[in-house]
Amino acid sequence: MFIEIDLNSPQPLYEQVVQQVKFAVAAGAVQAGEMIPSVREMSKLLAVNPNTVVRAYRVLQEETVVSAQRGMGLVVTNDARSQCLAERKSIFQERFRRVFNDAVRSRLESAEIREIVGSLLASLGTA
Amino acid sequence: MKNILELERVSKRFGRNVALDNVSYEVAPGTVFALLGENGAGKTTTIRILLGLTDADMGRAAVLGYDSGKDDLIIRKKVGYVPEQPVLYDWMSVAEIGQFTAAFYPNGFWQEYCRQVEQYELPPGAKIKSLSKGMRAKVSLALALAHDPELLILDEPTSGLDAMVRREFLESMVDRAAAGKSVFLSSHQLGEVERVADTVAIMKKSKVVVVEPLEVLKSTTNLVTVTLTDAENRAKLTVPFKSVIEERVNGREVQILGRYLNPAAQNMLQSDQNITRFEIRTPSLEEIFIAYMGKDCPPLPAEKDK
Repeated sequence: MFIEIDLNSPQPLYEQVVQQVKFAVAAGAVQAGEMIPSVREMSKLLAVNPNTVVRAYRVLQEETVVSAQRGMGLVVTNDARSQCLAERKSIFQERFRRVFNDAVRSRLESAEIREIVGSLLASLGTA
Repeated sequence: MKNILELERVSKRFGRNVALDNVSYEVAPGTVFALLGENGAGKTTTIRILLGLTDADMGRAAVLGYDSGKDDLIIRKKVGYVPEQPVLYDWMSVAEIGQFTAAFYPNGFWQEYCRQVEQYELPPGAKIKSLSKGMRAKVSLALALAHDPELLILDEPTSGLDAMVRREFLESMVDRAAAGKSVFLSSHQLGEVERVADTVAIMKKSKVVVVEPLEVLKSTTNLVTVTLTDAENRAKLTVPFKSVIEERVNGREVQILGRYLNPAAQNMLQSDQNITRFEIRTPSLEEIFIAYMGKDCPPLPAEKDK
């Protein structure tokens, strides 16, 4: 599992870790029953404060993406993948919301925003 | 022991220069604490007073529950300290300096030192004087960590080091924190601090202007950029913060970095007819630091109307 964090992002680091682990689970990089790196490993890997990772892992546990397995550490749960796939959509929705919000505050019209989205999708060959 | 270190109303002068002016804060155990400030702000003096290498004129400093003014020898034995420019016996080899230093510490120092030397890929037989700056820094770090100290103090640990060595220093700090130990560092590398620190203190001209958990500092600080219909309307703009750290005006554009944004700021700015555009975002630690330093960049010349 490769995780990247962006220090310039307004999103808190622990949230980025949560999201990236979810993306990795959604993509099948770590699968049900497999372990995610320990707090110590992950914090070294990302060179971030271990408390940041602890907090991210707590969220992942609360959201039942991972669960503590005695003597092993945190393991990806059985329905984590379908859950993360579903969540990917809402994560992107939130990202779009921020961008659109910016656009609206810059007094862009809805028609103009639709035009941008349309041409972007077209340029990616998805529309 | 409640706090790993404490400073209480500490002041220090060197001749006419005030190095520290009534500085007070404490550091909780198991945290990574970063001291930020420009050169000459008093960071190194703070560290030297904590270690008992310099006496405070006034106030009290304590480390691991020991008084820095009286129990300095105990403190220096118990903490790990990496100075900005490590003073090492040049004529010794990497192994020799470890053996030499091990004599001052309990058993286990030498084994741990060897482990660190191996981890950092240092050549045990090489003389210190033949080592690069990065390698010397790593020897200094290995010496500071080999007795597994409760507290590691680093003074500008990564200044002038290459990216790889900086990364290794970062990882070792993270590793200390993961093991429940404390780290106190002074640094100019705001990006690094942003990654590893639990708490930051910002010093400006011998005073401490902020001591706060990094997360609190970041989540309660915003940068608002506003474009006005007319530069004259600046006076009518309601500043949506409880406290403003820095305001910059550049023609019709106003940029305000402040603490505790008014929850209604978004609506206030949205409905303001004198504003053509606005943006609210979370600044980086670097932007926050620069704002606290109050160093206004000279405003760019206003763009002429086309």
